[in-house]
Amino acid sequence: MKTYLAQRLGIAALTLFGMSLVIFALLRLAPGDIVDILFSTGGYVNPSERAAIEKELGLDRPLWAQYLEWIRNLFVGDLGKSYRYDLPAWEIIRPLIPVTVELAVLSLIIAVALGVPTGVISAVRQDTTLDYALRIVSLAGLSMPSFWLAMVIILVLVAWIGWIPPVTYVSPFQNFPLHCVQFLLPALAVGYRSSALMMRITRSALLEVMREDYIRTARAKGQGERHVIWSHALKNAILPVVTVIGIEFAFLIGGLVVTETVFNLPGVARFLVQAILWRDYPIVQNLVMFIAIVVIVSNLVVDMLYGVLDPRVRYAG
Amino acid sequence: MTRFRAAAVWMAMGMIALAATFAIAQTPKSGGHLNVMLREDLPQGFAVHETATVSTSFPSMPCFNNLVIFDQLKRTESVETLVGELAEKWSWQDNYRNLVFFLRKNVKWHDGHLFTSKDVKFTFDMLREAPEAQAKLRINPRKDWYANVEAVEAADPHTVVFRLKRPQPSLLMMFASGYTPIYAAHVPPASYRTGCIGTGPFKVKEWRKGEYADYVKNPDYFVKGRPYLDSLRYVVIENRGTRISALQAGKLDIAFPGETSKTASEQLKKAVPQLVVTPVGQMVTDNIIMNVKKPPFDNVKVRLAVSHAIDRRGLIQAVHQGGAVVGASLAPKPWGIWGIAEQGLQALPGYGKLADEKATAKKMMAELGYTPEKPLKVEIGTRAIAIYVDMASFVINELKQIGIEATLKQVETAQWHPMATRGDYQIGANLTGLGVDDPDANFYENYACGSPRNYSQYCNEVVMKMIEQQSQELHPQKRLEMVLALQKKLEEEAPRPILDWRLDYFTVWPHVHNMIPHNDIYNFGRMQDVWRDK
Repeated sequence: MKTYLAQRLGIAALTLFGMSLVIFALLRLAPGDIVDILFSTGGYVNPSERAAIEKELGLDRPLWAQYLEWIRNLFVGDLGKSYRYDLPAWEIIRPLIPVTVELAVLSLIIAVALGVPTGVISAVRQDTTLDYALRIVSLAGLSMPSFWLAMVIILVLVAWIGWIPPVTYVSPFQNFPLHCVQFLLPALAVGYRSSALMMRITRSALLEVMREDYIRTARAKGQGERHVIWSHALKNAILPVVTVIGIEFAFLIGGLVVTETVFNLPGVARFLVQAILWRDYPIVQNLVMFIAIVVIVSNLVVDMLYGVLDPRVRYAG
Repeated sequence: MTRFRAAAVWMAMGMIALAATFAIAQTPKSGGHLNVMLREDLPQGFAVHETATVSTSFPSMPCFNNLVIFDQLKRTESVETLVGELAEKWSWQDNYRNLVFFLRKNVKWHDGHLFTSKDVKFTFDMLREAPEAQAKLRINPRKDWYANVEAVEAADPHTVVFRLKRPQPSLLMMFASGYTPIYAAHVPPASYRTGCIGTGPFKVKEWRKGEYADYVKNPDYFVKGRPYLDSLRYVVIENRGTRISALQAGKLDIAFPGETSKTASEQLKKAVPQLVVTPVGQMVTDNIIMNVKKPPFDNVKVRLAVSHAIDRRGLIQAVHQGGAVVGASLAPKPWGIWGIAEQGLQALPGYGKLADEKATAKKMMAELGYTPEKPLKVEIGTRAIAIYVDMASFVINELKQIGIEATLKQVETAQWHPMATRGDYQIGANLTGLGVDDPDANFYENYACGSPRNYSQYCNEVVMKMIEQQSQELHPQKRLEMVLALQKKLEEEAPRPILDWRLDYFTVWPHVHNMIPHNDIYNFGRMQDVWRDK
């Protein structure tokens, strides 16, 4: 187990190193830099002023020197300074993380709460009217992009009741009910799509398990149907669902761009897009690294959970 | 007779009561809070002197003061609507060679320091990049505005003298722009990128990056009893649909200047009839930039053919749904004061009868050997933003009809201005905003030889002479005539044909009072006199 963990951490470190090279290179390959954007807001370009700003921001140095400085600073916990805001990058990034994590977690809770039970019901009542109805609902969820749903929610709310959720972030310590209202709608928009995915995975995994011999044995022993489904079948069918939860969480941390933009939530993804448009390298590089870390950690957690959920799983070094 | 008298008395009493009610209803109330729309986070924070975008100037206005400003309660901007801010009064001396400002006393910066003439000298020396300047801006987009200032002298703590190389009555107009606030001499200019020390009616309380900028009332403001409001919040909403929904739902009280199209305003009015929509000029044009240094647009005939070919009125209907007006290089009345009127435009390329214009354009191209069957192939560049691309697409279709086959090249924002300034393009679809409705501000910036914003690289000695002459002319009527002739000349040379002047349908909730939009999005929003009655 320890060897396996060490191996995984080693691979994670290598992945992060690779990611750092890719994001650094891709950002520099994109046309234009922060200096171009600054001059864009001024509507002109002056070569000597341009050179002075490049020097001020350290953009005149060789690329390898810029890369090494970034990595060296990362190791000592210094994320650098935002080019756009002239402030430490951590000061900018820190408040974004809880917003996105909360939205992602809430969306996943909704997805699991909706997706797993409906998946079970659909499997148990296979080929009944209820099964068909739930499959239609789930197919609709998969077909509707969450950003589209988010926009529709806003438009319907404003058109029907002349109300929309708060447009500035409400802290839970400031006003908890309003905070819940602010997060519930975007979480529903995102969670519905994820729940559809989970429902289909749960259904197919459960249908497969339900055909296993040990389920027949459990039933033959006289165990109640509910006990058979929840204690025997679902326990064995849940592994693919856990995998999907892990992947979804990792995806949601960086993939909530449009939902955060439509609901005007100050999260990681929305800010990342702005930072990319501004070529704010310190912000983009560190946010992408943060997302990469989340992806790696959530995959690791999912892999570890396999062992907890299924005693047959063994970790070999 | 008695009955008549009684009726008269009742009528008089009724009118008095009505007048009293009206007076009570219109008496400004102190207190309250307003939420104002922002379309993007403040680029460069509050560093107004380092940007040329309304996204900085509008949300920064409550923090600052100018020497003079356009009356915030009047929609039209001109010399007649100038009022003093940090300058109590001013006077032209030595036949318009010296401009003297007499400053207010006991004005305090938000950090408690006293405002003096040193701050004025500091600001303008920095802007004109004088050798004796104590500070340098890292980007200085409006340096050209002050090219005629020879020296700024702080005669005493409350008097400042601008010595000019030659008379320039327009200088006062530029001082009144939202782009000309006074910076504090004791604060590094770079610090305005992250915060704001001004003398204005509101102090910056907090700027949450990407979320909002909060202001609170400045209790030491030099105008007694102002501002009326206790606080302001400028809310950043990047999604257009959400912005409009937030305004409709009452989450925002005031729209962002230039943000409400005609269609959007009509939809808003339909949904919430009590919303107050005011059509105003934006002082922003759609225009075509043609690189006069490169073939084929070094040939005036090709440029003129392009200008003749584009149906301005069609563009206004198709792209702006009627929310724009035709005009030459300065905004026409009533949206501006210097522009050529509709009647005068008829004789200029592109403004006549549609069929005639198209025929003229076709004929010109045919003379050059190009027809729709054997077209001239060019690349039309534009910013990869919907408002640019929509206009460019319309233009491409128009050019196709006269024998110019243009392919669209969408250029990312980061690359657009460097490309235009370098002249690294053939033809482009462009938007230009004017900080002030003034010939000097426009001509020197966009048409003068060597100006970095003269994207066409156009340089004509005759035109330069005309620009200089109108700039020095002291007689308003004579100057207007010179400016009209100059506009005519520019349209005939067609380095940058103007397609239309955009309108804004500025929207506020009815409980917002004294928020008067101007015919120039860059020059209002001080918020000193704004109040709410809810």
